[in-house]
Amino acid sequence: MLRRELALVLRARVTWFQAALAALLVGHGFVLAVDLYAAGSRSAAAGTLMAREFDPLLGIVRPTLGGLYLALSLFGPLVGARAIAIEKDRRTIHTLLLQSGSLPRVVARKWIAALAGAGLPIAGAAALPLLWLSVGGHLKASETAVAFMGYVSYAGFVTAVGLAAGAFANSFAQAATAALLAIAATFAIDAAEGFSALAWMGGAAAWSPTGYLHSFEEGTFSVSSVGWFTGATGAALVLAGIGCRFDLHGKRRVAAIAAGLVVLIGACSLGRRLPGAWDVTESRRHSLPPAAAREIAKLPGRLQIDAELDREDSRRRQLELDTLAKLRLARPDLRVRWLPDERRTPSALDTSEGYGQLTIRLGDRSVRTSSTSRRELTTLIFELAGRPLPDWTQSEYPGYPLVVEGGRRTAVLAVSYFVIPALFLLIGVALTRPRRRTP
Amino acid sequence: MESAPATLDVSRVTAVRARRRVLDGVSVSVAPGEILAVIGPNGAGKTSLLEAAIGALPLTSGEVRVGGHRLGGIRERARRLFYLAGEAEPPAEVPVSTLLAHALAAPGADQRLAAALTERLGLRSFRDVPAGALSRGERRRILLFAALVSARPFLLLDEPTGVFDPMQLLDVIALFRACAARGTGLMVIVHQMSDAEALASRILLLDEGRALACDTLDGLRGLAGLPGGSLQQVFLALLRARQPAENEARAPS
Repeated sequence: MLRRELALVLRARVTWFQAALAALLVGHGFVLAVDLYAAGSRSAAAGTLMAREFDPLLGIVRPTLGGLYLALSLFGPLVGARAIAIEKDRRTIHTLLLQSGSLPRVVARKWIAALAGAGLPIAGAAALPLLWLSVGGHLKASETAVAFMGYVSYAGFVTAVGLAAGAFANSFAQAATAALLAIAATFAIDAAEGFSALAWMGGAAAWSPTGYLHSFEEGTFSVSSVGWFTGATGAALVLAGIGCRFDLHGKRRVAAIAAGLVVLIGACSLGRRLPGAWDVTESRRHSLPPAAAREIAKLPGRLQIDAELDREDSRRRQLELDTLAKLRLARPDLRVRWLPDERRTPSALDTSEGYGQLTIRLGDRSVRTSSTSRRELTTLIFELAGRPLPDWTQSEYPGYPLVVEGGRRTAVLAVSYFVIPALFLLIGVALTRPRRRTP
Repeated sequence: MESAPATLDVSRVTAVRARRRVLDGVSVSVAPGEILAVIGPNGAGKTSLLEAAIGALPLTSGEVRVGGHRLGGIRERARRLFYLAGEAEPPAEVPVSTLLAHALAAPGADQRLAAALTERLGLRSFRDVPAGALSRGERRRILLFAALVSARPFLLLDEPTGVFDPMQLLDVIALFRACAARGTGLMVIVHQMSDAEALASRILLLDEGRALACDTLDGLRGLAGLPGGSLQQVFLALLRARQPAENEARAPS
């Protein structure tokens, strides 16, 4: 029965306390974003060209979601772990499982309830874009919704990891430690991103949720990102189910865990290979110009780019975020190889003459360039196919600079730092206050 | 042809926990409508016996069957067994009404018993109160409600009576008897000898993981050579009788 599980999570003071703390973190991110956006917007007021750079999705929503990422990473696993571990602390797990008779049902209900608790900060964060609109800001609903959808997926993933930790641990303390370590491992993978010395961890990037969150934050609905989160969450829930199987012992338990890990690897690998991505941003600004995107998708042959750029090179980051992201939207089959990663040589020692060069391959033809410009690279791809570059015009994104100051800024501060956290605390107190017995 | 009522059979069960043999070839059966009280000193293996029956403790040998059918996974055990751990506490945050509704929503729960059990266990007055705000005895009554309403053929209860005052205890014993009268078999760990005497159809005496005796109170009295003795006296006599025999066996030849 879901009501019991929801009560276990939502009538616990700790749930609302974490939600209030998370709201402070998220609110702080929002306030910083609003102030930085305002500072930039003051200088942009003079020119249209600069105004185009003011993108509220990247300037307001994404930094706000940065706070949410931290809050979910810290508190989500704890809420998930508590949902099961508390049954062990209170010696009711066997009773609960035998009462229900259905392990999947117990795990699913626990997960839904934990998600409701861990998702409270998302509800708080969702109020901030509305606040941005109320102070005169602009947001496109579809791109903002996709960005939040990514964080709902992430909340589902971290609570499932917490549940799995709770299922294998003997107490909440053990479960909390294990769950936080599992999430911290994904931070370690992310930390390898900008360091050549950690290039050997390059293959692990596919196992960090951050990369999959990125496409959502950019307003791209990517089936592979949804697939990865679905696979990883489902597999973590399978592991949670195995952990709860108190009737499995010794070799059978080890075999079940091994099978669960195979499911995890298989589900994630399968999920991230699912094709299809849609740019739902205003003016489709994260895509190539429509004609180029349409035509490049039709080019025959396999498209591959070999890049001689190492992890510490800023051009690599720019290439990934801009040109490659746009090319991947048009050509999901694009394969990119980072040659220095494969050699695993630190950049300082990299003496290869071709460093900085990109080799573009289409079918059996190839061309080299040192440019990372998307127009230049797209032109070269069409040249390899023996075709001219299609029409490169794209509807201009107007940009939405906004200076929030005076009374409006005070309102932003009050809502972000006080109203939302206090609301969570008040609801928590109302739901958890002691009740009198009826005579 | 009507099939014979299923019996819970624990056969020659041996189990090791932390390198210590906590059960050593224990065999016992519980028939429908029977209340088997499990008694023994601390560390005798009482809780381990119940955990072995539900599958939570791995067996190095022996088996657990119901109606001759070996019990498999959780789903299969759940159809036949209800288990309540000794230190179990209902979730403190959850209102009593939600916990009662949860117990009634369990597969096979006997809805007809709900009203009477709520009344007899005195749960009506704190339906809206979170379980954490109740006394230990009141919290235990919520768990007993779940056990008694479950309508599973066998209830395995670890020290369900230890927290009740004498008046409440009489009520709870009456409820256990009524449950047994409906055909449910109960295996109940009891620490207070007087409780076991009042409750049990048969009594299993465990010591150091072994079954010393399993019989009716009169049968145990006969075994101990104490006709008319209390269970307390019988218990001590059987334990003392075992120790000299063991010492003799251990003595160097």
